Amino acid sequence: MRPILLQGHTRSLTQIKYNREGDLLFSVSKDQVVNVWYSHNGERLGTYNGHVGAIWTVDVNSTSTLLLTGSADNTAKLWEVQTGKCLHTWEFKTAIKRVAFSEDDAMALAVTEQRMGYPGTVVILSIKNDIETEQSDEPINIIYPKGSKAMAAEWGYLNKYIITGHEDGSVAQYDWKTGDQIKSVKAHNAEITDLQMSEDRTYFITASKDKSAQIFESNTLNHLKKYMTDAPLNSAAITPIQDFVILGGGQDAMQVTTTTMRQGKFECRFYHKILEDVEVGRVKGHFGPINTIAVHPDGKSFSSGGEDGYVRVHHFDEDYFRFKYPELH
Amino acid sequence: APKPSWADEVGEEFDPLPLETFTDENGIKTVVEYKTNDDGKKVTRKIKKTLITERVNKAVAERKKWAKFGEERGKKVGPDLSTTSIGEQIFLKLSSNFKNAETTDDNIVNKGKLKKILCRICKGDHFTTKCPYKDTLQPLDEINTTIPDASKDSAPAAEPAQPDTTSGKYIPPSLRAGNKGTGDSFKERKDDATIRVTNLSEDTTEADIHDLFRRFGSISRVYLARDRETNVCKGFAFVSFQLRDDASRALQAINGYGYDNLILRVEWAK
Repeated sequence: MRPILLQGHTRSLTQIKYNREGDLLFSVSKDQVVNVWYSHNGERLGTYNGHVGAIWTVDVNSTSTLLLTGSADNTAKLWEVQTGKCLHTWEFKTAIKRVAFSEDDAMALAVTEQRMGYPGTVVILSIKNDIETEQSDEPINIIYPKGSKAMAAEWGYLNKYIITGHEDGSVAQYDWKTGDQIKSVKAHNAEITDLQMSEDRTYFITASKDKSAQIFESNTLNHLKKYMTDAPLNSAAITPIQDFVILGGGQDAMQVTTTTMRQGKFECRFYHKILEDVEVGRVKGHFGPINTIAVHPDGKSFSSGGEDGYVRVHHFDEDYFRFKYPELH
Repeated sequence: APKPSWADEVGEEFDPLPLETFTDENGIKTVVEYKTNDDGKKVTRKIKKTLITERVNKAVAERKKWAKFGEERGKKVGPDLSTTSIGEQIFLKLSSNFKNAETTDDNIVNKGKLKKILCRICKGDHFTTKCPYKDTLQPLDEINTTIPDASKDSAPAAEPAQPDTTSGKYIPPSLRAGNKGTGDSFKERKDDATIRVTNLSEDTTEADIHDLFRRFGSISRVYLARDRETNVCKGFAFVSFQLRDDASRALQAINGYGYDNLILRVEWAK
């Protein structure tokens, strides 16, 4: 396959996200730029200008009308997807590391950084999906995770709870109405760098600097799968078709070579979701560690954003869809 | 396909060559063009066009029509080359045996490129020049080569190469065992019988050098300098003979000799 290279950022990518239909791909970076692209051909549709600090996170609502970004300038901004206009800015005491719309778009969570005496929090915001209406500044609730700060978070299905991944490698479930922790498990040995839900949110994958990715059941936080690699991971995603998980990271022994890098050597690794130990393939190309991976909702393509400032969009070849793991089929 | 038989009837100088279009039952439109090329031969060009209709979500189709905004405001439809390009072809080879396949490749690659740092003196995990036993022990590969050398004509040379290691006196680096200066780890020890050939052409190979110099005596080593990335010859090479006399005669003969349109220069390697 020939990946499409998106060169819209001058610094490392922090997160990329597809919208629900997958026709739009949003990318944010430390360069303060938010880009939106047509995913089928890589054509840039527009940019959202306004943040004055590195942007850590982005999410889009299910109707592709509202965009939410979180930045190191201590604000989270709500944008009108179609025009690029900033509809609202929420101010916080510290940087926002992760934002996520709830399944019904009526709420959003914002994970704030722990710094200078301020604890890390997860703020629950109310979102009005009508573009004309003024957004509310007052959060619905603020969760103060006890112990280690949250690095990433996502909503459970039907807004039952929030799932959080922490710096100490633990994964927890919080009741967003009360702010209480429902349960917690010690999942990884180092900080969790990414947390992505399955399509129906009944299970999720976590990526960690401890060089592994794991899958947990959302309701019970039961551990289901573990994928071991040789490099600290920055991101992990689940493919909706074909039973794979895609892992990306960097900073392994490869750094030591002095060979010329005409073709980038950092790779997205494909593991078989069910069989755990089975690595089924790798996609090279990035010139630096991979920071973020997103899979198109129809599973026919995926994208990766790297430390090198590039987003690479890959549309799978025919043979990808014909691959069947021999022992299972 | 319909045969344009009427074209044969009409005189060639005056008929405008026709352009045919027909659509077959699969919806594939074919445009057939006939031209007369420079040799006076009739050339046919067929272009097949297939219209692919994709069903997309209505909202997706709507979004395709959105006006560009932000940094893209006012720009025309279609991907902009400054932001969007196509990368090199890559293959995602999915296989159930991926790990095994990969590791064998990596081993072969790593053997050539990523060697573990090994000291020649004590086999420790450091560079030879950083060895704590630099002053006292001789590099292990030196011990092998200096022994046969001593028995040959390089008897005078052997002496400084193997000074008394137990005298306890200070030995300057240049006279130490197996050291010709600290930066010299890569040069050949058979330097006495080694010549340097320069002004070689880019496509010279080790085999060429070997062929050129073997008539002067037995060659113990040929080193051809190559560019690290492109592998073309950098223009010089080192040839080490078993006997210094052979090297000497080679130097006399090849210096000034024309080879592959270049005048070669030969000197002692120092």
